Amino acid sequence: MIEVNKLRKSYGDFLAVKEATFSARPATVFGLLGPNGAGKSTTINCISGLLKPTAGTVTVSGFNMASDAVRAKASLGIVPQELAIYDDLSASDNLSYWGAAYGLRGSKLKERVTHVLDRIGLTDRAGDLPKTYSGGMKRRLNFGCGLVHEPKVLLLDEPTVGVDPQSRERLFDLVGEEKAKGTCVLYTTHYMEEAERFCDELAIMDHGEIIAAGTIGELRAQVGEKDIIQLSGTFDVASMQKVIHQMNADVLVLNDNSVMIAITEGAANLQTFLNGVGSTGATIRDTRLSEPNLESLFLKLTGKDLRA
Amino acid sequence: MRFVFVTAWTNLKRRFNDPGGLLSAILVPSAVGFLLASVMGGSGGPSIRAHLLVTDLDESFVSQAILTVLGTDQVADMIALEKVTLEEGARRLNEDEGSAHLVIPQGFAVAWLEREAVELPLTVNPAQTVSPKLIREMLDAMLDLGDYLHKVFKDELNIIAKGVQSGQAPTAIPALSSDIAAKVTAISGLVFPPVITVQDVTPKPQGLSISMALLMFPGILLMAAFFSANNQSSNFWIEKEKGTLARWVASPNTFFAFWTAQWFTAMALTAIAAAPIMLAGFIYLGISFEKYFAALAWLTLTGPILFALLTLVQVLAPSRKVGSMIAMLIMFPLLMAGGSFFPVETMPEFIGAIANYTPNGRVLEPMKSYFIGEYGASGLFEHAGSILVVAVSLLFVAGRLSFRKALV
Repeated sequence: MIEVNKLRKSYGDFLAVKEATFSARPATVFGLLGPNGAGKSTTINCISGLLKPTAGTVTVSGFNMASDAVRAKASLGIVPQELAIYDDLSASDNLSYWGAAYGLRGSKLKERVTHVLDRIGLTDRAGDLPKTYSGGMKRRLNFGCGLVHEPKVLLLDEPTVGVDPQSRERLFDLVGEEKAKGTCVLYTTHYMEEAERFCDELAIMDHGEIIAAGTIGELRAQVGEKDIIQLSGTFDVASMQKVIHQMNADVLVLNDNSVMIAITEGAANLQTFLNGVGSTGATIRDTRLSEPNLESLFLKLTGKDLRA
Repeated sequence: MRFVFVTAWTNLKRRFNDPGGLLSAILVPSAVGFLLASVMGGSGGPSIRAHLLVTDLDESFVSQAILTVLGTDQVADMIALEKVTLEEGARRLNEDEGSAHLVIPQGFAVAWLEREAVELPLTVNPAQTVSPKLIREMLDAMLDLGDYLHKVFKDELNIIAKGVQSGQAPTAIPALSSDIAAKVTAISGLVFPPVITVQDVTPKPQGLSISMALLMFPGILLMAAFFSANNQSSNFWIEKEKGTLARWVASPNTFFAFWTAQWFTAMALTAIAAAPIMLAGFIYLGISFEKYFAALAWLTLTGPILFALLTLVQVLAPSRKVGSMIAMLIMFPLLMAGGSFFPVETMPEFIGAIANYTPNGRVLEPMKSYFIGEYGASGLFEHAGSILVVAVSLLFVAGRLSFRKALV
């Protein structure tokens, strides 16, 4: 449904996306996970035709975005990161307009507008101007404008940024519904929890590069089955290496300010490990124990926190 | 194409939902028009009529003849004549109570009869432009007439001059009369109307005089078109900032369709803003309502050249703020030079010449001529072609330049 092959996008000397290659299938949610500035939005803008790639190809629903843009775009629905709605048009008129932009008309258009208004929970406020809406309501309308024409491919660029928990849950439901209908959803986020919750497949991006890709299971396996212990504070690296070796743990990250290890029976071994760290004269500010997840994978791959 | 109209209709809905810009396009020109009408007085304002103050220090039959000619009905329609003393004339001109002050000096008649150099001092009111010009032209024509009289009646005038210098009536009056009669008969075939005459049967507008208010009226309509154009031209930046322009680019519609829709919107907004002002003006000035729809169609069709121009400015600008600022910097001088604030007829000639090269001037002047009755509706629309070619070219360039900016 989406095929991205050796996609490159540069701005002068700055390479925003480096040879990105991935594909997303129908009825799946494909996640692009990465910190701010990783190149996710640039990638999604190339896929949507908003940016012309420097090199590489993008195919949507079998249509090449460069040579058959009209048909490629016709099968796309877009939910941009920034709100893209008319503040001076009612929710109903916004949906009607963007539905018409994709060729819907007459009773079909009305039916879709009514349906989407219901799905995004704005039926009661359909006639009001969005400038009277809360931030979450605007986000939901922004979402609705992207799917009113029932696209085969839905691009969601950080759709939950700045959204209240109630609206976020509603948006999650909508993503689930679209997937169940057979839509191919490309979802960019820097929230690891969202990616783990929805995405059937993921590509993790950093500095414009895809540094890991696969299903959630495949990616977790790269971290291993061991639990993760993360410490922040002030550490002596040489002393810490000895303590970690004695605990029979794997080093994921080790520097003056942070330590991350993979260890079996993390909960049972935590106190022993902390005692060992304490004996090196280290100062511990924060301790975290977790099961292996995408964030720890990102830390392992890049040596930095995904939320940084 | 259907979506072009959907977009234009949606743009209009947006304007109605947030009507500040549209209201300003109607209210500002209306307020200017109302103020001008108040200043000009009621009933469409007075016709342009010069007020000539004359001091006759000669009190001769020649000076009387000049005053008689200036007082004839045909001339009196254009020039109101008032005899004043030398001091009163100077004072009243200073107080802006006249267009010009003409002094016929003592000895004028003798000098004219003797064909000696003589000056007719004319002081014009610098606060007025049209009326003094009218007086100058009329006096020039009279001086030419005097010259011709001299050429035809040279001998007779010499006899009269001698009589005037001696203070006695010419002795050979019967012979003089006979000579004049003979010459008049001889040249009557040349100066009196021929048997075959051309009769102008073009219906003249009933009761419509060329008043200052009428001259200003098309300018006020153009002002409405300008305000509408300015509002709509900034829509490019609004859509870009809102992200809706990016949504459009990501949709299967062409960018050409986007600009076509903007053009239609500009046309509709021009019509909406101008229609009530035009209606009020027609009622106030007594213009025939037969001209209403043609005039509105003209403005709707050609007025968006201003939208095209301002859009190009906006697209070339690095930001919405800079674009709006430059648009304003361009708009007000164009309003001035194009005859929207002051009629071209009241401007110095060089500015009047510039007006013809401004986009608003190109739209305004044919409409004014149509109102005055210089030509009919078909004549009006003969001027549309060149305006539309320029407008579409400007918009095409703006559209091409905007594509890169439309992308994220």
